[in-house]
Amino acid sequence: MKIYPYKRLNRPVVLRVTSVSLKLSDGTRDQLETTAYSTQQQTVALGIAGHTDWVSATIGLSATLPPGANAPDAAWSDLRVLAVLTDRETNVRTSADLTRDAEDGRDWSGSLEVLRDDHVGRASLAVYAVGTVDGVRGRSIAETDRSWLVDTVSDEPVRGLQLDVQKASFRKSSREWLQAYADAPWIVDTSARVPTVFVNTDVEGVIGLLDSNGSGVDSKVRDLLVAQMSTDVWTAVFHGAIGDLEVEPGGGPVFPTDWQGEVLREMLPDVLPGVQVEEALRQVHRRRTGESGWVELQTRIHYAAVRRADATKALAYVIRSLEQMNRESET
Amino acid sequence: MITAPSHVPDRLALLATSAVDPFLTEELLKGEHVHGGIDLAKVVEPLPEDDARWSVEPVRSLVEDAMFEFRPDRTRADAWLAPRLHATLRLTRREAADKRLWNHLALAVAPDYVAWRHLSEPTAKRPEKRIAAERFRGPADRQCFSRLWWAAELFRNGSDYEPVAAACGNQDLIHTVLRLDLIDHRPTAQALVRLLQSGQITTGREINGLSTAINAAGATLVYDVLAPDEPRNPVVLGDWVAEAGSAPPVGRHELPQGPDEEPAPEQSVAVLTRYFAELIETAPVRGRKSTE
Repeated sequence: MKIYPYKRLNRPVVLRVTSVSLKLSDGTRDQLETTAYSTQQQTVALGIAGHTDWVSATIGLSATLPPGANAPDAAWSDLRVLAVLTDRETNVRTSADLTRDAEDGRDWSGSLEVLRDDHVGRASLAVYAVGTVDGVRGRSIAETDRSWLVDTVSDEPVRGLQLDVQKASFRKSSREWLQAYADAPWIVDTSARVPTVFVNTDVEGVIGLLDSNGSGVDSKVRDLLVAQMSTDVWTAVFHGAIGDLEVEPGGGPVFPTDWQGEVLREMLPDVLPGVQVEEALRQVHRRRTGESGWVELQTRIHYAAVRRADATKALAYVIRSLEQMNRESET
Repeated sequence: MITAPSHVPDRLALLATSAVDPFLTEELLKGEHVHGGIDLAKVVEPLPEDDARWSVEPVRSLVEDAMFEFRPDRTRADAWLAPRLHATLRLTRREAADKRLWNHLALAVAPDYVAWRHLSEPTAKRPEKRIAAERFRGPADRQCFSRLWWAAELFRNGSDYEPVAAACGNQDLIHTVLRLDLIDHRPTAQALVRLLQSGQITTGREINGLSTAINAAGATLVYDVLAPDEPRNPVVLGDWVAEAGSAPPVGRHELPQGPDEEPAPEQSVAVLTRYFAELIETAPVRGRKSTE
């Protein structure tokens, strides 16, 4: 827990998204369905309506301050509530004042404008309650404990690791560098903005299998295949992220700010269980760059990847389907 | 020292980072030999034909002028090139966040500039001259051209590039501050430049000390309340981008004009400049006690 040199509220602000609309390039507005945002995932997906020509989005917000915010003997005055959108990829910081719904209430609401040209992927949305405390203006007295994600591209409001899957004939692709991998069924590229899996359409039937749905054994095999790909992706992104760490002068490694940081924060607890993520990052970095311990860590990294890919579940379902199939052919 | 590839493309394009490696050879990183350009042209993704901004000639001529003008002192080229590159390319932040564009600029259009600017001088520790690979493809605050573009974008005050030239004149400032979140707040960026111009911060240690103090104070202070900024106006920037086709080449002697956005509110910049000056008084700076 952090210690603050002034009085604060000790519970977080609760933030909800209440509406999302897009302004299109022809000047019209499209009010998005409530499926564009998920309160449980705390994520907004602006790509959901499939518009490619939107100019800006208006996100309706409602925030509830913790009890005590309006207490008559509170240590703060000039209470204000701000929504702040930040994007580390584009260095954009946008803030908007919310207004109090009822004079003595703890609910505040308002809206925030998201400009499309200011973002490339995901931005992070937080709310701060700010007041003057002990004569100091601009003190934050409570904030959201977990930011909402505003995804300007995604068509589904989910928080997890974003993955791009592209299908290409490795032999004939205009991306000539893929030709070097012509005999692989898929490859993982972690150097792009989001990790990308290229599936090789030269392997006959692979797309049919990946697109299969239904309940037959095909779809179970597909799930197993996807689990295998995901394991590859998680392993590759972990190594990519660890290999690219920036080291503070005279200090330890720092968490990357993009998805690589997210991946590390998620996987490190499985790689070094029971160790705080900051310390885990230092230890893993030491092992990779130091004299020993990196080889021993590979099993843990693989384990962290397999868990995330749901490989055990996928395998169990395939085995069950195969057993059923065998039984049916025997009778 | 290397020259431009024998084949320089006419148009800017996108070069995926995964496609970069075959061209980032040992010879190039040593500044000895550059690829011919023909093979690289095969692996790029083109940008729209009808957009004047993707013409290579204006950028190519800028870097050639920079290399001529700043031969005696290449680090000074940053302050000259940053605003001019920014005013020539006219990118949105969304476009500028695409590393593939910067990869292409560095590898296909002007690898000779990257080598000229970033080939290290031999030292006792590392006797071999070398260019760090991150200057060709790397984080936004390290890559040769994207660091200049972002410095210009984050330090310009509306249409005024003067603060950019001042900020880029101090290598420590852009090296340290560009990767910090605090710079995303315009009045903060302008206040830093004022302190630099008034000589209140100069050395890398002072800049490090102050940015640490600003960050620490930022954990309890919301700068948007202390020093409010104007909201961004997308129409102004859009017009500036659209005028790229008819704009004349940027001036070589006078600073160009940026997009006609509102400057950061003077009141906000003044408040933060005073506040940061107080922080400098109290911030621990490594080595300051012993030298005074």
